[in-house]
Amino acid sequence: MRSRLPQTACLLRLVALCILLSNTAAYFGLTGREPLVFLPGPFSNEPPTGKAHLKQCEQMSLTRRQKRLCRREPGLAEALRESVRLSLVECRYQFRNERWNCSLEGRGSLLKRAFKETAFLLAVSSAALTHALAKACSSGRMERCTCDDSPGIQHREAWQWGVCGDNLKYSTKFIKKFLGQKKVSKDLRAQIDAHNTNVGIRAVKSGLKTTCKCHGVSGSCAVRTCWKQLSPFKDTGRLLKYRYDTAVRVLSVTNEATGETELAGPRRHGQSLRTTDLVFLEDSPSFCRPSRYSPGTGGRSCAKDTSCQSLCCGRGYNTAMRLTSLSCHCQVRWCCHVECQTCVREEEVYTCKNA
Amino acid sequence: MAGAIIENMSTKKLVIMGVTLLLFQAFAFMVGGLIAPSPTTAVHYLAMKCVDTTKHREETKWFMPWGPNQCDKIQNFEEAMAKKIEANNIVFAVHIPLPNKEMSPWFQFMLVILQFDIAFKMYNQIEDGSLATIDVGLAYRDDTVSEWTEMAHSFEQRKLSCNFTTAKTFENEGRYYECDLLPFMEVGSVAHKYYLLNIRLPVNERKKVNVGIGEIKDIRLVSIHQNGGFTKVWFAMKTFLTPSILIIMIWYWRRILMMSRPPVLLEKVILALGISMTFINIPVEWFSVGFNWTWMLLFGDIRQGIFYSMLLSFWIIFCGEHLMDQTERNRFSVYWKQVGPIVFGSFCLFIFDMCERGVQLTNPFYSIWASDVGTELAMAFIIVAGICACLYFLFLCFMVFQVFRNISGKRTSLPAMSKARRLHYEGLIFRFKFLMLVTLACAAMTVIFFIISQVNEGHWHWGGAHGADEHSSGQCITGDNGGNSGEDIQLTTTITHVDGPTEIYKMTGKEAQE
Repeated sequence: MRSRLPQTACLLRLVALCILLSNTAAYFGLTGREPLVFLPGPFSNEPPTGKAHLKQCEQMSLTRRQKRLCRREPGLAEALRESVRLSLVECRYQFRNERWNCSLEGRGSLLKRAFKETAFLLAVSSAALTHALAKACSSGRMERCTCDDSPGIQHREAWQWGVCGDNLKYSTKFIKKFLGQKKVSKDLRAQIDAHNTNVGIRAVKSGLKTTCKCHGVSGSCAVRTCWKQLSPFKDTGRLLKYRYDTAVRVLSVTNEATGETELAGPRRHGQSLRTTDLVFLEDSPSFCRPSRYSPGTGGRSCAKDTSCQSLCCGRGYNTAMRLTSLSCHCQVRWCCHVECQTCVREEEVYTCKNA
Repeated sequence: MAGAIIENMSTKKLVIMGVTLLLFQAFAFMVGGLIAPSPTTAVHYLAMKCVDTTKHREETKWFMPWGPNQCDKIQNFEEAMAKKIEANNIVFAVHIPLPNKEMSPWFQFMLVILQFDIAFKMYNQIEDGSLATIDVGLAYRDDTVSEWTEMAHSFEQRKLSCNFTTAKTFENEGRYYECDLLPFMEVGSVAHKYYLLNIRLPVNERKKVNVGIGEIKDIRLVSIHQNGGFTKVWFAMKTFLTPSILIIMIWYWRRILMMSRPPVLLEKVILALGISMTFINIPVEWFSVGFNWTWMLLFGDIRQGIFYSMLLSFWIIFCGEHLMDQTERNRFSVYWKQVGPIVFGSFCLFIFDMCERGVQLTNPFYSIWASDVGTELAMAFIIVAGICACLYFLFLCFMVFQVFRNISGKRTSLPAMSKARRLHYEGLIFRFKFLMLVTLACAAMTVIFFIISQVNEGHWHWGGAHGADEHSSGQCITGDNGGNSGEDIQLTTTITHVDGPTEIYKMTGKEAQE
């Protein structure tokens, strides 16, 4: 699935916006400064041993440390790109019926504030990165994955002896390194961002399913091996959307015992925040009218009985009859063969009024 | 009956021996827990989708997913659709192991599990009972530059059992089905460094091949092998313990022969048990490091089978010889009723194992569970074996009950005896009763465990809830080794202890892993 790209003009505007953006933490993906131009790039087919990945690394606007990591690991550039694609597709899917539909326009302004939407963007990008890295590891695109961090022993010996970790452990560790989360500053905003990023990583972890296989004598369960399996990213997206719906507004509280500032929910004073909640500081704008955060809901199509009321912000909607041609009675065969008839159907289309 | 050794042994000696054995077991535990890694490793693989551009497929071409000479890849099937690539030209390539690693003979075996990622589409749903036909080839090489050598090639069918957990609406298109794991491949030795799997899903509409299997998005494999470190520690233990049981066994038999009477049945059975235990412990696996013997896995199964049937027979005979009624037994043929089910049951399991692992010697992709007839046959074998196990257990229970009844009968006559004699008898009876109960509990656990595990085998169970019972029963298998017979603790225990450590130590490995 290739995501539809915004117009180039749009992108240029975004570039300008992003350059203006001065985010202290080095984030990536939907939350990064880069304008996502590399998104649809020609996938693979690059000469295997060539320096193609170096060029890809250069194309992305990464921090110096991220660039270094990217150059060191040939498969990383592709995994990063995949993660952006994944997060964007999922974000759009989850917010298709919301006033804010994860449009890239206004993303820069959103990221400067601490809305619920910002929290979601942070979480979904880190989740997508975790997911994409673990997948890249298992498809062999990345060279150092699991055995890289085993202490004391050499890579090869660790593999032979059998003390390598699993892909996911590696990818979460790598992400922390990549996003530069080692030391979280005392700044409230940075703390919130770090928290939301962790929520994303945790969402992937909590979706892991343990699967086992028995292989004892004649297949009995005297010997069993279990492993953890990533759930599809759609499930992670759904979980994060739920977290978005139940996000918590936080305050900064100074811990009297240690003198450090930490985040706290409003009702549960003194109690530290649950690590699975998305947090925000400010109430979101309505996203109804064009603003610097979003292009507004004017012109969005909606479903009459369900989403039109809220989506159009009470401005009402236009109803139009339209003949649409659909493919129907499809004969699909596995891979790459679809035979469809074209059915023409008259449909009522509802679009929100512009102001 | 005339006690050979244990009845004549003083309590002090017995205690010393027990403590030594316990210490030994603890030592094995420590080695398992501290030195060895977890017994097995599971590695995930995501198949790369390569495009076969060759016009005629006369000679097999191998497709590498990564590294030098990698194939032309496509990212997804929309791309294939746009480029008009046909299903027969798409090759799913998996290289085992992942980059910068190599396999080693210490891994002992490799089994691979297949999983399809199938997306839900309104117009392309999975039909009920649909079969996926897989054209799969396996190749190996021992360095990174030479050509691939074909090891096996086969057309396999696997039944897709998938369900879609949410409503089947347009809204949910693109979500994945939840599919059961499919057994894919089993290799009994890992003699080469690099393996390559090329999988195709050929489509033939007329013959209804691969029609109605839904929209397959990805193929994932999980390969399981034994860890090299575990193998080494395990071999070391086996190598160290085999001579010690051999010595104990020889010593025991010499002592028996030294007696004026000919050896009784029980003593012979103990010797047989010792021999079967030595057989299971002899570290013939050392050869698998140097030679490419794929039958090692099957051979290991057979050895375990022999040991377990010997152990089960031993319990029966042990009970029978302690019945304390006036009938003269001391002949193996007396026990045919009880030993019969054991022999028959293990024969069934042997046939089953031959059908699965035996056939895998020639075709590593074969699985008896893949076809309906095979599944029924396999289930039949397992059920028959289960019935035999139940039957056996009933016999055993009945015998133990008889023994206890007879003992309490003897007890009533105890007060009439002199004090010294009475104490002696009471001690004996107590010892016997205690060991009997332990044995019985262990036998029960083993049988229950066997049934549970075989039921689970039928449908690859999920989740990690079974750890507990497995451990306890394993414990018990070793535990019973620790204390079963009244007469011959020294042989059986020590001998079984030799098996004990390996078992226990497998368990600790597992614990450590968790």
